[in-house]
Amino acid sequence: MPAVAITGLGAVTALGGDVPALAAGLAEGRCGIGPLTLFAHAGRSTLAAQVPEPAAGIARALPRATARRLSRADRFALAAAGEACRSAGLTPELQRAAALYVGATTGGMRESEEVYRRRRAAEERRFRLSRLLGTPLATHAAVVSQALGLFGPRATFSTACSSSALAIGAAAAAVRDGRARIALALGTDQLCRLTYAGFDALQALDVEPCRPFDRERRGLSLGEGAAALVLEDAAHARARGARIRALVLGDATTTDAHHVTAPHPDGAGALRALVAALAAAGVPPEAVDYANAHGSGTRQNDAVEVAVLRAVFGRRLARLPVSSTKSQVGHCLGAAGAVEAVATVIALEQGLLPPTMNLRTPEWPDLDFVSSAGRRAPLAVAVTSSYGFGGHNVTLVLGRAESGR
Amino acid sequence: MSAVAVTGIGVVSALGHGVEAFWDGLVGGRSGLGPVARCAGRAGQVPPLDLRAVARSPLSRRIDRASLLALAACRLALADAGGLPAGTDAARTGLSLGSALGNLGETAIFLDRLFARGTGNPFVFPNLVMNAPLSYASIELGVTGPTAFLVEQESSGEAALAWGAEQVARGAVDVCLAGATDELEAVLCEVLRDAGALARGEPRPLDPEADGPCPGEGAAVLLLEPMARARARGARVYARLEPHPGFGVPAPAHGWARDPEPVAEGLAPLLADADVVFAAASGRPELDGLEGAALARALGGRGVPVTAVRGALGDFGAAGALAAAAAALAVATGTVPPTLGLVPPARGGLDVVVGAARPADIRVAVVNGLARGGLCRPLRLEATA
Repeated sequence: MPAVAITGLGAVTALGGDVPALAAGLAEGRCGIGPLTLFAHAGRSTLAAQVPEPAAGIARALPRATARRLSRADRFALAAAGEACRSAGLTPELQRAAALYVGATTGGMRESEEVYRRRRAAEERRFRLSRLLGTPLATHAAVVSQALGLFGPRATFSTACSSSALAIGAAAAAVRDGRARIALALGTDQLCRLTYAGFDALQALDVEPCRPFDRERRGLSLGEGAAALVLEDAAHARARGARIRALVLGDATTTDAHHVTAPHPDGAGALRALVAALAAAGVPPEAVDYANAHGSGTRQNDAVEVAVLRAVFGRRLARLPVSSTKSQVGHCLGAAGAVEAVATVIALEQGLLPPTMNLRTPEWPDLDFVSSAGRRAPLAVAVTSSYGFGGHNVTLVLGRAESGR
Repeated sequence: MSAVAVTGIGVVSALGHGVEAFWDGLVGGRSGLGPVARCAGRAGQVPPLDLRAVARSPLSRRIDRASLLALAACRLALADAGGLPAGTDAARTGLSLGSALGNLGETAIFLDRLFARGTGNPFVFPNLVMNAPLSYASIELGVTGPTAFLVEQESSGEAALAWGAEQVARGAVDVCLAGATDELEAVLCEVLRDAGALARGEPRPLDPEADGPCPGEGAAVLLLEPMARARARGARVYARLEPHPGFGVPAPAHGWARDPEPVAEGLAPLLADADVVFAAASGRPELDGLEGAALARALGGRGVPVTAVRGALGDFGAAGALAAAAAALAVATGTVPPTLGLVPPARGGLDVVVGAARPADIRVAVVNGLARGGLCRPLRLEATA
């Protein structure tokens, strides 16, 4: 079976509009969570990790009528996918046959909310279909496919907060099974009133910037953005002289079958995902150097996640660096899995441990939560996990590209 | 990669619940369309379900309609197969569901309150995640293996079936339920009506005179397992399902491809030995025109019978899952159900079955999933006898 290489990266996050900006933000320990200004919200929470609007030229490959209908999440997707393909050095011919797997949760909801509000407020006399064509989640994949000329296999996954981690797993499977030599995995989501009000109503939002693993943590901070990874048959990458940034060693997905929003109290499904991903990678737990946690900052998630890590890593957990990238870029929902996979690749490439920000009093003092920025350590293998509403769990095992590859 | 067997079929459709009502209706040329008050016009509505018999867990008390339809189809597929194979491990059981638009009804209710009072409803919000049908079904059925929720416009059903079949083929699961759901929703009908995008009378798939689709709803789920295991336990096998990863063609990102050639090129190898094609056509001129021309080119004058279930069921994102269920039944029974609404000649000079169902020797059936944005998601089903 072909080894799966990562040869390109792209990211649009609250830390900046590309991968270098994300890498710098991770290294400096910047927190991108600030006041919510995109829309008015009357609830408890006032914070979000907002992303600056991508440059106007982002849609220039598309006809004007298409460009006009793009949602913010489409534009994030275009920016991240374009950066990933460029950084992988893909030619139009390679892109033509490449597969495309996308994870997202709300599509063009922000724009559609406004169309719906105006119609209900009688500011419009009828619905105009052309303004709602960007609503469906599958639109992101269509936009990226048409702008970048990707005409291989294509799918869009929506499993809440694990959506784009599942898309990465699908891309890795396509490369391993030989259905595609190159597959672009992408996650994208934008802040919208619906998700913001929904999480706030569930009292799942922290009124301060989220504090994963802190004794005082009160919930998550919503974010937005997009991230993309070019996955490629490693032999194909070497043959065309592409730089291999990291390897996808294994992945697994499981289901809790427990509750529509709450995780399984024992983390049974999350535990099976981590164990199965390590088994698929052929990596023993003692070989793992870093865990990029789901780390949403909710009471339940973090407790369950620590229990899962403890069950797998045992006493070694005290020496296993763990961090939550959500403390810097917020919870990017459908994009979270891909954003965190890119952060994990940066960690492997640069031997740099991303920090957990806003962590003052760890609830589990025996763990190494990487509380300060800029910590360096040689890393060979890292795991990154994503857990979604409905008990959907995905774990990815990523490895440093070996020298000479 | 192992061969994938279809050993159970569950359908909730405007023609009724269960394989028998669905297939008898299709083969008998019955229309599931009729006046639906909340849609202010004709639509294909699923007859009422016994909520408590379908959603049995206290955790499902607030289940939404799209999720309920999916869960009902899962239960019907399991019942059709005589339950899960004995000794099935929950962690080796997969579930793959799809939907084009998900829970639009409660999304509108949530937004109405948000705009009126500025607050979200915490009881409705959990139902608004796209994967709610997957959550409910996995909880109700105790599925803890690999699961996925796929969102692919008009080909959401084909996409979810392909993902499920792929998990079975590569040995990631021992058994997988796969299919899709979409609900008929008042706001969607309002939007489509405002846009003048609906048929004035009956929808006429593949008819050059067609003026639009008719909205519908439904869910279909197939039980998939490795052929060798199905054979070993003496299970009834409807057909063999070949997963296809799909392909893209140049198209407006929000609309239908205009050039049929790349579609035809991608379909040609799949159609080379096809004995029947289940078309995506709904009566929407842009889709039907594209599909008619692409099929005509890919079939190259070979007189292969074509049929389109959206004429009887209405148009919705999950309809491809119902087309796949029909294709499995066609392969198993040697019958091609007729296309309602079409007055021949059909687009592209295709041999579209109209009037009475047509008996045929069917070895291979192709379900032609097509979606806006240039997405092609064909499925291929083969006879196993």
